[in-house]
Amino acid sequence: MTRKPALSRRSLLRGAGVGLSLPWLEAMASSTVPKIPVRMAMLYMPNGVNTSAWWPEGAGAGFQLSPTLAPLEFCKDQVVVLNNLWNAASKGGDGHYVKEAAILTCTTIRKTQGADLGNGISVDQVAAQRTGRQTPLASIELGVTPVAIGVDAVVGYTRVYGSHIAWSSPTTPLAREINPRSAYERLYRASYGPQGNAARMDKLLLDRVLDDAKNLRSQVGSADQVRLDEYLSVMRSLEERVARASSGEKGEWKARAPIDPNATPTERPGDHAEHVRLMLDIIATAFQSDTSRVATFMFGNAVSNVSFRFLEGVSAGHHDVSHHQNDVDKLRQYQLVNRWHIQQYAYLLGKLKAMKEGDGTVLDNSMILFGSALSDGNRHDPHKLPLVLAGGGGGRIATGQHLIFPEDTPLANLYVSMLDAFGATVERFGDSTGPLAGLLRQG
Amino acid sequence: MIRLAILLALAALACFGAPSEDYSFQTAQSFLNTYCQNCHQGQTAVGGFRLGQIAAPSSLRQEAQRWTSLSRRITGGEMPPKGAPAPDFAQREQFTHWLGKALRAEACANGVVPGPAPIRRLNRHEYTATLRDLLDMHLDIGQTLPADGAGGEGFDNAAETLFLSPLHSEKYMEAAQFAMDFAAREYKSRTKILVAAPGASGLTPRQAAQRVLKTFLPRAFRRPVTESEVAPYLALFQAATDQGQSYEEAIFYTLRGALVSPLFLFRAEPPNPGTETRPLESYALASRISYFLWGSMPDELLTDVAASGKLQEPAVLKKLIPTMLRNDRSLEFVERFIEQWLHTRELATDKAPDAGLFAAYTADEELRSDIRNQPVLFLRELLVKNLSLLQLLDSKHTIGTSNLAKHFGLKLPLNPGRTKQPQWIELPEGSNRGGLLGMPAVLAVSSYPYRTSPVLRGAWILESLLGTPSPPPPPDVPALDEAEAAAQAGQPRTTVRERLAVHRASPACAGCHDRMDPLGFALENYDVIGRWRDEESGKPVDNSAELSDGTKFHGPDQLRKVLLDRKDLFMRNLASKMLGYALGRGLTLQDSCTVDQIVAHVRENEYSAQSLVEAIVLSVPFRYQTGRVVEKK
Repeated sequence: MTRKPALSRRSLLRGAGVGLSLPWLEAMASSTVPKIPVRMAMLYMPNGVNTSAWWPEGAGAGFQLSPTLAPLEFCKDQVVVLNNLWNAASKGGDGHYVKEAAILTCTTIRKTQGADLGNGISVDQVAAQRTGRQTPLASIELGVTPVAIGVDAVVGYTRVYGSHIAWSSPTTPLAREINPRSAYERLYRASYGPQGNAARMDKLLLDRVLDDAKNLRSQVGSADQVRLDEYLSVMRSLEERVARASSGEKGEWKARAPIDPNATPTERPGDHAEHVRLMLDIIATAFQSDTSRVATFMFGNAVSNVSFRFLEGVSAGHHDVSHHQNDVDKLRQYQLVNRWHIQQYAYLLGKLKAMKEGDGTVLDNSMILFGSALSDGNRHDPHKLPLVLAGGGGGRIATGQHLIFPEDTPLANLYVSMLDAFGATVERFGDSTGPLAGLLRQG
Repeated sequence: MIRLAILLALAALACFGAPSEDYSFQTAQSFLNTYCQNCHQGQTAVGGFRLGQIAAPSSLRQEAQRWTSLSRRITGGEMPPKGAPAPDFAQREQFTHWLGKALRAEACANGVVPGPAPIRRLNRHEYTATLRDLLDMHLDIGQTLPADGAGGEGFDNAAETLFLSPLHSEKYMEAAQFAMDFAAREYKSRTKILVAAPGASGLTPRQAAQRVLKTFLPRAFRRPVTESEVAPYLALFQAATDQGQSYEEAIFYTLRGALVSPLFLFRAEPPNPGTETRPLESYALASRISYFLWGSMPDELLTDVAASGKLQEPAVLKKLIPTMLRNDRSLEFVERFIEQWLHTRELATDKAPDAGLFAAYTADEELRSDIRNQPVLFLRELLVKNLSLLQLLDSKHTIGTSNLAKHFGLKLPLNPGRTKQPQWIELPEGSNRGGLLGMPAVLAVSSYPYRTSPVLRGAWILESLLGTPSPPPPPDVPALDEAEAAAQAGQPRTTVRERLAVHRASPACAGCHDRMDPLGFALENYDVIGRWRDEESGKPVDNSAELSDGTKFHGPDQLRKVLLDRKDLFMRNLASKMLGYALGRGLTLQDSCTVDQIVAHVRENEYSAQSLVEAIVLSVPFRYQTGRVVEKK
């Protein structure tokens, strides 16, 4: 039996911001999938950075990390500091939601309290929709705080925008797992879950409810059909996974490293810092085992005001210190908070670097992007975004550089290049004007 | 969709702004011609918007959408764009205030309409409560589901933001398995489900299964179920039996399917095939009522009334409402409603007082829970006892416990036998604890985690109580530090009050801060966690305030009077919020006519709490269904 192509024409056309070229179509058909898979993750930090302490000294390979980026020293040769990228789509609107929701979509969100959500497909989902069937989970979405509650009446946006960076369709943000234990169990179940008869029974059950959904869909109006299409889509993908498990043939997938059922983390982390690390561990486990190749993680929702008083020298919440008003002390605290985030990023990179894979490490085969949707939080500025990319991307990324691009180079160009390295080439993404010069190795 | 909140906000300025009464369509036109004409006329009009499109009074009806979006951009300070000549704050407000009123008048001219009724997924609270009632078991099964975002009027039951992710599908499968495994072992659940067994009365397993399904499925799907809907579930049972499962195993397996079906997970109402508005079908109405007042599925009584065809009768509904409110399940409605309306749910997340500074709060779980529960139980008492909703603004009573008494530093007349139980009590004279503004939950959620903020508290009152949120700061706010540096020259340290005075001296900031700050100043006697203080950092607390119209007042008691003077604004906001919650969607311009009617009804009934619920349940959007829209060719 022939397997369905990894991407249907329909889901391909849904990517509103994604342009296609012929070489891409060839890439889809050919079997040039590298032996060791490339992984892609985005760690999103809300509220921007203290720009005075962020940017490295010097350009190209001979650069020196800034005070904020100093925790990356141990893997400096494996990072690229990206300078002068901006997200034109997130200009205007309000200070946070428009920026945050667009960080991976490069699309201007529709201003709404909820009735007509509208964004683009995020870059991680473009990747996931292309390769998702090769792994048990197409992508994982993680965070540490639940979705922000309510509607921001002052600016007129639903906080749903500020709580999601991953969007599988223009109207569907993806819910995040915030419980480390559930997240871990999910990886385990997806990799080793019901097999044989148990899976067969699950499949029968899912077939049953899919029929209910189809019947219901035929009775409702077009607006309601969209909701049922969401249901059909998520239930179908679950059904496909169960079907693979029930048939005994798990396709070509097999765990690249075992997931230890006895290493399940706590569901009640002691504090914010522990919580963050446990969730970053999930990414490392997912990537090492190849349970998923695409991950997004949110340190907080837009406008997050998580208290950082646990950090020595910080006396306020995250959003408060980001509105530093050029106050020297607030700027100092802001920088400490930024640096703490970089330390967590470094923690994940260190972990991936310690995971041997082939002749290299999992980090060599990953692209871990860290960044914020604002530069200076006090000014809500989407120019010159603070972004760092780490990992070799399977040897494709020219790491160990501080790349200074022409002013206002589209952030979307970065995504074009990352998708290329990931093996999901697109000709265009959002407002991209081409690949990001100097990021990928030639040849 | 035209959003109501903004228009209400505009309409409400009468209280704190001073819009002129003789503002007319002509005045508005000259305003637009002055500030918008440069870019928005002729063939090359920017954004395809030409003033000519809204030059005639009839455009208020025909181009309401265009007017609304224009109003939004002017209110939000997006238009006129940076660099272009712009109206001052007062001009802008007069315009948007007039426009809000004019649009509502147009929209209401043709009477009320039901508005949209989108299909909606059960949110995780509804899911948990529904499983609890369906299976007669107490398990917080929804804990494992991702939290739901919110839309519309700010509630997590808004249909528009209840989307589905792959994570949901997996969780639903697991939760269904978990629930059924649990039910299979629990005596009460088993009895409720296994209404027939093979053998006993000569039934075959298939016949018994059919009986079980015919009892269970209508309850799970909250409506009668046809033979052809039962059949595929019976086939599923058969398949399980064929796999060698026992009768019971196969039953619980089959019912697992029902719990993952969209017919269970979604609330879908039978569509109206005609083009005319019609009363909602009885079972769908029963669900609307029970998800409104209980956050869960209809019980047997409500289902029976629906079956009798009498549920649409106003007299029947009027009798049902107090009964349903007295039921324990109404606590879930009150909790979800008020905690999202007042934002106190955020005390568990972003708005938690700082643990280092307020150990008295953080370390005392009982106190924290009393604080969280106080507004919830207070509103529930108002509803159950049918008292005046104005008690939310000021009251001689509150909910007390021994922990709260200690927290307040007051002697409260608690029932000596159960001082730890939250209870309705009369407040001593001069307690400063009457109404929501005396409640620590409210005072904490409108503070920073580490200090009080008159701005935040004032903004909270404007948004949550009066429904008149301030617009966002203009994009070009001059950095406070410069102005501050000048003002501070030679002064070592300034108070929050002094710094805010600098803020209000700037014309760009004054418009809103003149409104927010005074309201917050009056509450300065309460610290972050709502304890009373007469001094702060060794200085006496200054709780004096002056409104922009010159009204001077001080302290929380006089602030309560200021708010009671605006009780209609407060009621309008409360009615909008509750209607939005009841309908589970954002309100539209047309809904504002319904809100008018609800507020009038409540006012006629001396603001009694049940009259609000009654007016909502009896309203057209709640009980009726819009006809199919015929596509224009």
